[in-house]
Amino acid sequence: MAEMKQTKFHGVFKIDGRIATVNLVPGKKAYGEDLIKDRGVEYRIWDFWRSKPAAAIKNGLKELPLKKGMAILYLGIANGTTSSHFSDIIGKEGLIYGVEISGRPFRELLPIAEKRGNIIPILANARMPEDYENNVLSKVDLVYEDVASNDQVEILIRNCLKFLKPKGYAVIAIKSQSIDVTRNPREIYKECIKEFEKHFDIIDKVELDPYEKYHLFVVMKSKR
Amino acid sequence: MYAYLVKTLIGVFSLDENRRVISFKPFSKDPSQIAMKLSEDSPSEIQQIRTEFKNFEFVSGNLKMEAFVKENLLKYAIEYSFVKNQVEFNQLLTKVNSELAKQKIKETSRRDQLVIHVNNAIEELDKSVNVFIERLREWYSFHFPEMDRMIENHETYVALIEKFGNRQNIDDKKLNHLKDRSSGMDFTEDDTNILKLFASDITKLYQLRESLLDYQSKLVKDVAPNFSAIAGDAIAAKLIAKAGGLERLSRMPSSTIQLLGSEKALFRFLKSRGRSKSPKFGLIYNHPMIQNSPRETQGKVARLLAAKLSIASRIDYYSKEYKADEMKKDLENKVKKILSSKE
Ligand SMILES: C[S@@+](CC[C@H](N)C(=O)[O-])C[C@H]1O[C@@H](n2cnc3c(N)ncnc32)[C@H](O)[C@@H]1O
Repeated sequence: MAEMKQTKFHGVFKIDGRIATVNLVPGKKAYGEDLIKDRGVEYRIWDFWRSKPAAAIKNGLKELPLKKGMAILYLGIANGTTSSHFSDIIGKEGLIYGVEISGRPFRELLPIAEKRGNIIPILANARMPEDYENNVLSKVDLVYEDVASNDQVEILIRNCLKFLKPKGYAVIAIKSQSIDVTRNPREIYKECIKEFEKHFDIIDKVELDPYEKYHLFVVMKSKR
Repeated sequence: MYAYLVKTLIGVFSLDENRRVISFKPFSKDPSQIAMKLSEDSPSEIQQIRTEFKNFEFVSGNLKMEAFVKENLLKYAIEYSFVKNQVEFNQLLTKVNSELAKQKIKETSRRDQLVIHVNNAIEELDKSVNVFIERLREWYSFHFPEMDRMIENHETYVALIEKFGNRQNIDDKKLNHLKDRSSGMDFTEDDTNILKLFASDITKLYQLRESLLDYQSKLVKDVAPNFSAIAGDAIAAKLIAKAGGLERLSRMPSSTIQLLGSEKALFRFLKSRGRSKSPKFGLIYNHPMIQNSPRETQGKVARLLAAKLSIASRIDYYSKEYKADEMKKDLENKVKKILSSKE
């Protein structure tokens, strides 16, 4: 039988061509993913087709700035599919502030957040950071954004200026279709990157095809 | 001496100017209790501190102090044995925020019911004002019958009586040449005073109506940002009220939204077994897009508009994410196409 092996990414393991994280709340699934036990530890399969960072890893991402104990601001957390794996990786001493605008996926997030104890659910618009600055206790190590709107670049920058620690990380899944359906995605990516380079050093970027079409996954580090 | 009050998730702190904690009144450790305390403006703990420390002048809402306490909250929480460690603290944070979010969902999901009340209040007010105006016109016409036809606008009519009372005192371009030759009877001071009072109360009702409309606009933008941007605030409010709330509206097929408010005409059509005309639109008939289209295309435009409104109501019910500008543009383009294919 195949064994779980540590990958170069902190808290991420691999088995049979799939990747997985250690389940923070054994016995509980977050979204119908497979659970696998190996030498007394329960792992949750991280689905390439349902989560963008998993797809990015599959497509050759070199660095994912996630570590035990990190504080993360997550914009567009939806029902918690991806953040449940972040929650596994950062552990009980880490913290995810999860911002979501839409009531429907948010309702599904609440039970997951309460069970895990390290995801803070915030029903708010990521365009209005002032509306949740009281909920965010201190500056964060990483701002992650997956909101699929035409002002996604601006939203990330504004939130980083307000909440990101000096030299902290920013990670985004750019969706070109939300910015302009008629234009070539690569052109749009280029423009976004140019904008980002005013504030960040680009560490790595990969396209998410075929798992997510027209998406570019970008890992950055704040210049400040 | 000054001291600062800071309300946090674990209780109320008071600090002196050197950021030393003078007093800490913890909340109970139950997450839903904490959520309740946080949504109160002035929880009892604040009062307790104020009465215990009479020699201080307390200031709340100091941003720097609040930021300082927020950043050190974990440290304080452990120091004051509210939690044992970071893990417990995180769990508490999660639970309290979850409670706060549930409250927020509950509140926002019921505000649409307020639209129904304001809208009905406006309709009822309109009916009453009309009855009063009719009475005022008939009554005052005993005294100055010529003014009734000269001044068709109700608000102006009321304002003139409120201001001048007796026709002898009226100063108005349209009326000055009529007042001396009026065929109406003379009124005593008592007769006119009571009418001035009546008129001034009707004016107040007009002002109330304005306030209700302003409030309704704000409310409907808040409850249904996309739907109201496309329908216009007034029509949006009427449609939400007619449907019985945003949830019901969001579940209606667009063909129903198109006919909402035309129930009487529809009933007539059904009873006549097709001999009278089937209605093409209800309340949305007053929308500028339909008003500005030639009669032959109004039906088509209404269908497009209702389809967009139906999508908008669903977005508003589920997420309120603002997409109305793109939707409006798309709608305008489609309408343009219809209009140009006519020519
Ligand atoms: C593609 S989904 C995110 C999926 C999620 N990141 C995952 O992988 O589990 C995008 C989410 O962003 C949310 N969203 C869009 N605009 C937003 C905004 N301005 N503020 C907060 N959330 C927003 C949407 O409601 C939606 O749930």
